[in-house]
Amino acid sequence: MNPKLESALAATRRHFLSGCSLGLANLFLAEARGAKKPDHPAKAKSVIFLHMAGAPSQLELFDYKPELVKYDGKPCPDELLKGKRFAFIKGVPRMLGTPYKFKQHGQSGAWLSELLPNLSTVVDDLTIIRSMSTDQFNHAPAQLFLHTGNPRFGFASMGAWATYGLGSENEDLPGFVVLTSGGNNPDGGKSLWGSAFLPSVHQGVHCRSHGDPVLFLSDPEGMTRSLRRKTIDALKDLNALQAKQAGDPETDARMGQYELAYRMQISVPQVMDISKEPPAVHAAYGTEPGKTSLANNCLLARRLVENGVRFVQIFDWGWDHHGTSKRDDIQHALRPHIRSTDQAVTALLKDLKQRGLLDETLVVWGGEFGRTPMRENRGGTEGAFFGRDHHPYAYTMWMAGGGIKKGLNFGETDDIGYYVAKDKMTPRDLQATILHQLGLNPHTLHYPYLGLNQRLIGPSDEARVMKELLA
Amino acid sequence: MLRWLPLTLLALTLRAEAPDFQRDVRPLLSKKCIACHGPDEHSRQAGLRLDQPHAKGARILARVSHPTRPMPPSGPRLTPAEIKTLEDWVAAGAPYTAHWAYQKPKPTPAPGHAIDFFILQKLAEKNLTPSKPADRPTLARRLALDLLGVPPDPALAAEFLRTGDYSKYVDALLANPQFGERWAKIWLDLARYADTQGYEKDSKRTIWPYRDWVIRAFNDNLPFNEFTIRQLAGDLLPDPSIDDLIATGFHRNTMTNTEGGTDDEEYRDLAIRDRLATTGQVWMGQTWGCAQCHTHKYDPLTHKEFYQLYAFFNQTADDDHPSDRPTLKLTDKSSTLILKELPPGKQRKTRIYERGNFLTPGETVEAALPAAFPPLPAKAPRNRLGFAQWLVSPENPLTARVTVNRFWSRLMGRGLVDSEEDFGTQGVPPTHPELLDHLALEFQKDWNVKKLLKTIVTSATYKQASDLTPELREKDPQNKYYARAGRFRLDAEMVRDQALAAAGLLSRKLYGPPVMPWQPEGVWLVVYNGDSWVTSPGEDRYRRALYTFMRRTSAYPSMMNFDAPTGEVCTIKRIRTNTPLQALTVMNDPTFMEAAQHLAARARQESPADPLAKLFALALLRPPTPAERQRIAALHAATTADLARQPQNAAKLLNYDKVLYSEDRQATLLPDARTTPREWRYRLTDPGDANWMKPSYDASQWSAGPGYFGHFSKPSETTPIKTTWDTDVLWLRYELDLPAAVPTNFKLPARTNAQFDVWINGVLAVSNIFERSGHYEYPINDDGQKAFRPGRNTIAIRVARNGIRGAGQVFDAGLIGSLPLQLGKPQPGDAAKAAWVVVANTILNLDETVTRR
Repeated sequence: MNPKLESALAATRRHFLSGCSLGLANLFLAEARGAKKPDHPAKAKSVIFLHMAGAPSQLELFDYKPELVKYDGKPCPDELLKGKRFAFIKGVPRMLGTPYKFKQHGQSGAWLSELLPNLSTVVDDLTIIRSMSTDQFNHAPAQLFLHTGNPRFGFASMGAWATYGLGSENEDLPGFVVLTSGGNNPDGGKSLWGSAFLPSVHQGVHCRSHGDPVLFLSDPEGMTRSLRRKTIDALKDLNALQAKQAGDPETDARMGQYELAYRMQISVPQVMDISKEPPAVHAAYGTEPGKTSLANNCLLARRLVENGVRFVQIFDWGWDHHGTSKRDDIQHALRPHIRSTDQAVTALLKDLKQRGLLDETLVVWGGEFGRTPMRENRGGTEGAFFGRDHHPYAYTMWMAGGGIKKGLNFGETDDIGYYVAKDKMTPRDLQATILHQLGLNPHTLHYPYLGLNQRLIGPSDEARVMKELLA
Repeated sequence: MLRWLPLTLLALTLRAEAPDFQRDVRPLLSKKCIACHGPDEHSRQAGLRLDQPHAKGARILARVSHPTRPMPPSGPRLTPAEIKTLEDWVAAGAPYTAHWAYQKPKPTPAPGHAIDFFILQKLAEKNLTPSKPADRPTLARRLALDLLGVPPDPALAAEFLRTGDYSKYVDALLANPQFGERWAKIWLDLARYADTQGYEKDSKRTIWPYRDWVIRAFNDNLPFNEFTIRQLAGDLLPDPSIDDLIATGFHRNTMTNTEGGTDDEEYRDLAIRDRLATTGQVWMGQTWGCAQCHTHKYDPLTHKEFYQLYAFFNQTADDDHPSDRPTLKLTDKSSTLILKELPPGKQRKTRIYERGNFLTPGETVEAALPAAFPPLPAKAPRNRLGFAQWLVSPENPLTARVTVNRFWSRLMGRGLVDSEEDFGTQGVPPTHPELLDHLALEFQKDWNVKKLLKTIVTSATYKQASDLTPELREKDPQNKYYARAGRFRLDAEMVRDQALAAAGLLSRKLYGPPVMPWQPEGVWLVVYNGDSWVTSPGEDRYRRALYTFMRRTSAYPSMMNFDAPTGEVCTIKRIRTNTPLQALTVMNDPTFMEAAQHLAARARQESPADPLAKLFALALLRPPTPAERQRIAALHAATTADLARQPQNAAKLLNYDKVLYSEDRQATLLPDARTTPREWRYRLTDPGDANWMKPSYDASQWSAGPGYFGHFSKPSETTPIKTTWDTDVLWLRYELDLPAAVPTNFKLPARTNAQFDVWINGVLAVSNIFERSGHYEYPINDDGQKAFRPGRNTIAIRVARNGIRGAGQVFDAGLIGSLPLQLGKPQPGDAAKAAWVVVANTILNLDETVTRR
């Protein structure tokens, strides 16, 4: 049996013996919602994970490669192609230097591209990791690997692990909230925020910007608040009669859930309503109430962590810049997308900092893999537009706040950005580091399932808490 | 009714002096030692192996009680009591026996109803007394929910309540076709059934004929051994029937990755592993998947043996192709996925994949069974058929045990082996090993599923009351020893189906393609996929939940909220949770509100003098108690008073379904090229005015023409081009008149392979960059919805190919919307009637209603 359940049961017995009415189910509730003691003092109370689904190009944004610019248009050397699998590149592609200018910024001297004018002003708050490396080169498996620790379906997501390990700080809001933008859900689908073998109470709650923010949150047509209150009061009394006869603690727990649901009907729309934020905030983020956008979701993320939500997972779709048309190339398509992202994400960091929340909020930004230093030649020929194929070997992510070093440039790639040259870091290392900052031990946080102690970081002990990144 | 056997017949087993290896020692070794001293040679430390007989007992004792460096080196140490157990065991000569589950089941004589005999024996041992029998209404409801997954027919229930003829009631339920639907759903969890391919696009696939085959198999009581062989190897049977082929869909439920740039062999390999792992879990309760990268750390399965098992499954023709080939053609329109063995000369070599990576193949292996199990009979074919036959042979100690345990668990709320998914050394040992073996041996005789279920439900153990007394709460809160019946929340499908059945809405239609009952807007947002959720017409809205279309990447919300799996992987056991989202679902999900509306109407019609009695009879099969009557009367009175002041709300509650299904009021406001296309104003060159999309702009000089717009390198019959558009960008305008009562829920059906933006009266309403198939009904955003007005409206569209090359380009669009709802004039008495809807909503939310007790 699962040790958590075992201890919950033991506690239930103690409660019954001492005449307390808190039942087993209430303890499940407590497991999911109440704050729990971490393994070690936490550096971060909350996480905001900004996933740019599709994989933004590190070579256009963070990884400055003047050598690659020199080789622009030259055929890719054979040794970089031999034995390699690519999603779309065929034959011998040509090298592609970035058309964008890079400059050093801040005390840390971080090289950033001209596409990041806002982020470059807060660069001394970031740890930029230019040495990420994964082993998946297709979207859905790579996203699953990043968020669930396994490229296959059927594993619990990072946010689910966090609330399983820590519970939530706010009794009236879910502990793990998912926000999406870009017109599509991410390629990996809802499994990216699923609970898999963990109890489903830990799965991320997808909050939407159209219709009900949480499905079935609003009362049905004709049912007023006052009528709803009356039904819940009646349910309470009727269930109490049932509880008296059947003696099942689940009945009490269910009643607790109805009260919580009733409170959520008020608290969720309140926290999701950004219309009352001052104009200066909207101007800073680039938010427009009523729209579905990354900017709106960044502002929502701040409001959610402010209200004690443990894990906010943002997915922004549309970063797969292959260069097959104007809508997915690195000149026409990347530029507007990164412009609004740069503004919103920087506003989020500044806003958190100004409110004193950045120290306890870990912000993570990045895609599921990187993009090739070669120009994509789909079907073996080059088109009219410029783009890059999927590249698992080296890419960039950044982290900020939550006990992460400020102004750190971590890791390096080789001269053309093909391989990691120094301080390689994997999605598993990232997962271990995030759990560690939350006060959890990634090596011992487990759930027994199918004869194995399942962990976010997988069965092997390769994952490492990246101490070099910690303040 | 069966009575409990006299307890005096029972003898208590005395605990032997020496510890029992299976019961006391093996669990200790498994927990503390085997990870480093077990079957896996890579992780094995000091060359010491403790999962097999050996002569180093003294060495173990020395190490676990070592003063400075005790074993285990990390984690909690052995307690003094545990060390004492090991000492006693070593003193007795350290006897080893194989893990209990790898030994063949042993018969134990059992007088009377064997289940009750074994259960009572254990209860006496634990100093527990059984509960009193449940009353008839409780049994009537419990049995119907357990066997059918829905409440019983009122007439059948009434007969049982009158006569108390339990056996007849059981037989009637087992003969009802709804039985097959309920038990098929349980099996489909294991089969990881879904209606899409999984991964990214997650396109539709047709495999529902397999789902129907499972329903029929349960209804026809197909013996479980045949059921097994046909699903795993129906294609290899001599002269397989069409049904035998459809049955092989079991293992075609693995996912297909059609994402651009994926390696088909990589995902074919994953599918084969999934088939092996699933087979191990479903039939053997074994966690074989653990051995794909290295030898199993706990159970006797080496890395090599994993690939020997893999070889059985590695010869099928399917290859992760987007078409999901091979398929079996059923009608002109539909084909279903099946297994097909490669012909002899074309069979694959199976190699051991180092660390489970298909890019690093090692030694070649042949199909064979692991050494820990009896071998395949010499004459058996060394393929899937031989393997499937072996699974259900009397030599295999596991299939029957695992299967009876699963059926037992569904009826009792907990397995005799609690770890239903793991009968290996890390699993939980059975609470009643003799009973498990007895049921397994009986089941093996004829593999008769309905007989097994009837045996269980006719036991006094099953028929007990489920109430949790203070004594039981303290002594056996988890009901390990079955001194009461199980009391647990209904499965997701049952919560919904029960509400529809009570309301009289539930369709009795069996089988067929998946259906789309009401679902909130915007749930389906799948990458690169043109599929949309279109609410099914007529009774298909009210089919049982197992017929609801299952998209793997986007589950049906109420099912997901109630812990239903979504078909990515085999789910052996659902975890039941209790969450606020469940409360929100039953309170507010329009499906449940619609059920409340009809439940209330039905109760008022069938029992005008006492609707409450009928509400209780339909939902709970029992009359309300006086206290319940009083409380609900108060709710009804207070609600009536509220609604009397709000006639519009009373009207909405009484007409809830009409309000909900706005699609039933849908009308074509602007026909598209599929019917009678209208003439649009269009341009192929830039209008050169930033206000070109605004109503004030004058487009009278633009050209005029109907859809389809575009050009093809070869003319298309299905898509006749009426107006040539062969440039990159197309500008379109249409002036549309709307009535004073402006429709709602506008959508734009459009067919194109280009990207486009739409403005309604100058307001950006659609911005689409994805290519969808057919005339996809593009949703119009909130701003766009609000921009429509009575009288003249301007629809402006900019279509752009953005430089994409291809065999042609096409654009066509229309407009649809829902006409406003006309509710009748308020009538006196509406408030009291509508208050019954609110009461019915409350009854559906009762703890008792969502609970099987």
